[in-house]
Amino acid sequence: MNAKIAVDKPNSFLLLNGDEAVARGAVEAGVNVATAYPGTPSTEILETIAEAAKTFGIYAEWSINEIVAMEVAAGASMAGVRSIVSMKHVGLNVAADAAMTLAYTGVKGGMVIAVCDDPAMHSSQNEQDTRYFSLHSDIPLLDAGNPQEAMDMTREAFKISERLQLPVIVRLTTRVAHGKGRVRIKNIADSCRDAEFDKDASRWVMVPSNAIKRHAVLKEKLKKAKQLVNQSEFNVVEDNGSDIGIVGSGIGYYYARSVLDETKFSWLKLGFVYPFPKEVFEKFASKVKKIIVVEELKPYIESNIKFLHPDIMGKASTKLSDVGEFTPDVVRDAFVDLGYCKKTELHAELDLPSRPPMLCPGCPHRAFYYALNTVNQFIDCNPKKCNGCVVCEYVCSMEKEATFNPVKSRIRAVRLDTISNMALVCRVCEDAPCVSACPKDALRQSSKGRTIVVDEEKCNGCGWCIEACEYGAITLHPETLKALVCDTCDGDPVCIQWCPESALSLKGSSEDKIVTGDIGCYTLGFMAPVNTVQSCLCMGAGISQAAGMIHAGVKDKVFAVIGDSTFFHGGMPGLLNIAYNKSNVCVVILDNSTVAMTGHQPTPGSGKNALGEQTKIIELADVARSMGIEKVEIVDPYDVDVTREVIKEIMDYRGPSVIISRRPCPLLVKKGPRRQVLEQCNACGVCVEQFGCPAISLTSERAEIDPTLCYGCGVCEKICPFDAIRSM
Amino acid sequence: MVLNIIFSGIGGQGIVVASDIFCEAALLDGWDVAKAEVHGMAQRGGSIVAHVRVGEKVQSPLIETGKADVILGFEVLEAARVLPMLKKDGTVIVNTKYIQPSTSAAASANLTVEKILGIIRARTEKVYEVDGVGIATKLGNILAVNTVLLGSISAIPENLVTPESLEKAISGRLKQKYVELNLKAFKMGSKQVDLG
Repeated sequence: MNAKIAVDKPNSFLLLNGDEAVARGAVEAGVNVATAYPGTPSTEILETIAEAAKTFGIYAEWSINEIVAMEVAAGASMAGVRSIVSMKHVGLNVAADAAMTLAYTGVKGGMVIAVCDDPAMHSSQNEQDTRYFSLHSDIPLLDAGNPQEAMDMTREAFKISERLQLPVIVRLTTRVAHGKGRVRIKNIADSCRDAEFDKDASRWVMVPSNAIKRHAVLKEKLKKAKQLVNQSEFNVVEDNGSDIGIVGSGIGYYYARSVLDETKFSWLKLGFVYPFPKEVFEKFASKVKKIIVVEELKPYIESNIKFLHPDIMGKASTKLSDVGEFTPDVVRDAFVDLGYCKKTELHAELDLPSRPPMLCPGCPHRAFYYALNTVNQFIDCNPKKCNGCVVCEYVCSMEKEATFNPVKSRIRAVRLDTISNMALVCRVCEDAPCVSACPKDALRQSSKGRTIVVDEEKCNGCGWCIEACEYGAITLHPETLKALVCDTCDGDPVCIQWCPESALSLKGSSEDKIVTGDIGCYTLGFMAPVNTVQSCLCMGAGISQAAGMIHAGVKDKVFAVIGDSTFFHGGMPGLLNIAYNKSNVCVVILDNSTVAMTGHQPTPGSGKNALGEQTKIIELADVARSMGIEKVEIVDPYDVDVTREVIKEIMDYRGPSVIISRRPCPLLVKKGPRRQVLEQCNACGVCVEQFGCPAISLTSERAEIDPTLCYGCGVCEKICPFDAIRSM
Repeated sequence: MVLNIIFSGIGGQGIVVASDIFCEAALLDGWDVAKAEVHGMAQRGGSIVAHVRVGEKVQSPLIETGKADVILGFEVLEAARVLPMLKKDGTVIVNTKYIQPSTSAAASANLTVEKILGIIRARTEKVYEVDGVGIATKLGNILAVNTVLLGSISAIPENLVTPESLEKAISGRLKQKYVELNLKAFKMGSKQVDLG
């Protein structure tokens, strides 16, 4: 492995992003143990340390979630060595239970908690301000505004941690974590420490009688911390003799310095922000008449200073909002509003089609979603294309009755000419009303695809089913007087093949199932045209939300889709819970054997650890069975037909079940043979409008596959109703 | 003086690597650099933008709207999308390839390379249109498009980073077996601007 940060030239420059800089800072401080769970934008911290781990004798691990990572790092610190745990802001919620009480026990070896907030939610489900977690937990916090600070603060945080015997948070935001900059490195400390645990029950056993004493100890430590913040090198005053003082922390401060004439203001950059450096601020405030606070997200600094100066402008009185991230544009706009800088002349906005993030070409999640969407298919007619030619009626009667006689067709064209034309056919309703309407019990729904099966011996041609059908999809045979209903020709309808206008296609029924989602690439399945995923709350929530809906009494089958890594992280308790409480939920584990969304970190199922070493493969099916799930199926989502059959079977299964949809992320494996579109393509649109592969585009005449984007998964070839796609 | 460059393209085209190489080269030349990009979500297929700033002292990585000196577009629609970032009379270097987004809005917009280039040309006179795909294909590896574009940016008058440092950064970043081909691609790319 090429360890980017393993450079032993003190005072030289490296190009590092904030995460890599935290990693370098930790290595410079002689860290011994590093843990994390991947989460954008924090992932590269552990990834970078892991690259250098062997060189510096560091133990680095991908833990299965953030609280485990926090506890492993805490254990290492209890044994006297230095440790770092890194996570994204929402990961700190998962780890919060450990962190809150860790503030009571305190630490022994220096322990740094690196947390990356994500203002504007580039890749998150909420915007949190971790500075408020410090207020909540009393854990000191340093707030980095660029990669150089991230490195220097991390190195220093280990010292602060050992001085106070408390964990210390280093906070980054996305633009710091994923912003690269020139970083001047320092020398790397020797990390030879012997691990030894000091068995002191009064300190480490947090039963009430001990914890109450430790709470008081924590408050004493904070007094000491208050002295440190007021002497910290990270709280910097630049007094330019101005009446106006600008106070800020994080990257927002640097945006202000970029857009304003720096010499016209006095500046206070706060870096060590919890406990709040009150003395530093008061000294600064005594020299200025007006103060403007520049801080992203919540008004943390502002709330600390609001009674310390008479003229403070912040969230309410400027355009520096507490929603979204700051950019130089946002900061300029706010200062233009205050009359402190000039507006930039802007061009008119352009109206261009967007290119939203979407599941990659070849993504196995898309193939699974397609199979799920197309369970219980029916023939759908596009009225924009249908010209009412009734060819479908002729081919249907030929196929089913061996005669060209539209009256014996199971599909009916309705011609309203200039208004609209369309074909009517059975929609395979859930709990079909025609079945319950039949007084002779002659109709039933097949378990395969819910098509209507007519028992001709029982049917007496009474026609009640015709009245019950909302879609007008049932007729009577003119001679035998038995009910005629479409059976989709066993999933391969001849009418679709013969429709000269390509107006007919097979469509799935999305109304008959609920699909809860989770956090990962596969969340993008909520977008058109896939439209499968219907919820996303937090790691592992989908399974339990599904259970909640079932116990609330929803009638539809509920599927909970979750990625393999997310399952190991937060899904296992939910699965155990549905097994224990007999919840009729089908959990679909989308197993691509990697944490794809954050850049392909190994998972417990991948057989590799953070150091790239072989380790035991944790088999998802074994986990599910051991938790008491009796129905466990493994499918290859590229095999759409088999996947669909398994889903159909599960639709009728009552009780907790698991489908493991297994196919490695295509970005990690060799591409298959690229596909091309053949002459016979008639632009029916299934590959684009239903499957939604971004490598395929559609014109009015045909589909086209971009060879540079195609991953050669071949799923489009399998689903094309006209055999119009082949390998190149 | 700070040189502001927007790298714009589609996830999977190598925007992150190309902008990294440019920053590494700037560092070799002794400049201060700052760069912003966003990782995660949409590994492939979504719009990707990297902001690169090079100068004596750079305070923050994001470029203000209307203050970019150069747009380096890896695809025409993505180059056009970031046009509001460009300063008056700024420079656009664009790979003349259109990849249609797979949305129905894009399908009905009926855009073509020529139409989009028209939008770009209407915004500034300084447009270098580079057939990156053609050049890279001729050299035998379509993945060299990035290096062709780095060659092109090395040759424009605004550029502060020396071609020697760029070549060094390319050699340092790529696998040995791809270096020779990419250095050729770099030279070809720079010629596109000289000729234009």
